[in-house]
Amino acid sequence: MSQIGPLTAQDLTAITEAGHAGLGSRHMSHSNSAAIFQDGPYVSQAALRASLGWVLKPEGLCRDAVCVPVEDPAKLRSKENPDLLDIVAVAELIDRPAAIDAESGLVAIGLERSRRQRALHDLQAPDFTLSDLDGKPRSLSDYSKQKRLLFAFSSW
Amino acid sequence: MHDELSGEGFTIIGVAIDGDIDAIRTGATAISFPILMDPDHLVTELYAISNVPTVVWIDEDDRIVQPNWVAFGTDTFLEFTGIESEPQKDLIRSWVRDGTAMMSPEQARAAVEDLTTDEQQARLYFRIGAHLKRSGDEPGAQRNLKKAVELAPHDWTVRRAAMPLQGKDPFGEEFFTMYQEWQEAGSPYHGVASR
Repeated sequence: MSQIGPLTAQDLTAITEAGHAGLGSRHMSHSNSAAIFQDGPYVSQAALRASLGWVLKPEGLCRDAVCVPVEDPAKLRSKENPDLLDIVAVAELIDRPAAIDAESGLVAIGLERSRRQRALHDLQAPDFTLSDLDGKPRSLSDYSKQKRLLFAFSSW
Repeated sequence: MHDELSGEGFTIIGVAIDGDIDAIRTGATAISFPILMDPDHLVTELYAISNVPTVVWIDEDDRIVQPNWVAFGTDTFLEFTGIESEPQKDLIRSWVRDGTAMMSPEQARAAVEDLTTDEQQARLYFRIGAHLKRSGDEPGAQRNLKKAVELAPHDWTVRRAAMPLQGKDPFGEEFFTMYQEWQEAGSPYHGVASR
């Protein structure tokens, strides 16, 4: 598919463990705009905070009191609009893998790799929350203080 | 098993690596333990699970006592898998009742290999595909599921789980093709095989 100019963009939606969040589009006001441009999936600071919980500050990428230093912040920013940040590059800096389907404007952001590595190497069971058959959210930690058999199964 | 041991500080937590809640509900009518739906396969990413059924033993202090282990609750697939369920249940009973583990912590730490980059990416493309399937974008769903399967052709939670979403029969010819290719690849599994 050929694209003309840097603004042939579409809506961008991030899929994370918390669900999916539309990150805005170029049709929205500039400060909230988020779109897949030719050169990357860019989102506003507000959209970044809403989807991943992190913001770019002078001291680095920060979530609450935790900051990760960023060597070259310019590399995270769109050349067309420096207010927009490359969400995949940001995800990589916080140890989260990402995959993009440009055609649909979906970007899936995986869990921190270190969470799985802790499970495998430190044998500390990572918590998770999913809906039960009645749609009620339940977590592994709801059943703490007892022995648990985590049983992964399927209908396929 | 759950009913037998639930008075002894034990519970099973079922996680359906599945988007088909009706099929899971139908199969779960006689089940008294909680069942959680994981249509986006978060748990297979978090625990590096590559096939089902897989069980993980987690103790009172959130320690993984037995990582990813192939275990069947019944002998339905005995002929195919050669795995008898009763000796497995005995191992679980003795862990619940007297804390006997199957592996030392050192062995448990070495038991499951981390996902490769491709297996990780496959999970993300699967997630996009499943999302597009739910939202009715069929070509988009197929585009991403195909990519996922190409990245992790021997991962059952990717390739076999994709089959119903691709209009293929997960118990039919496609299954046997995958099974053969998986065996030829050395039966890769992220966990401890049972025998």
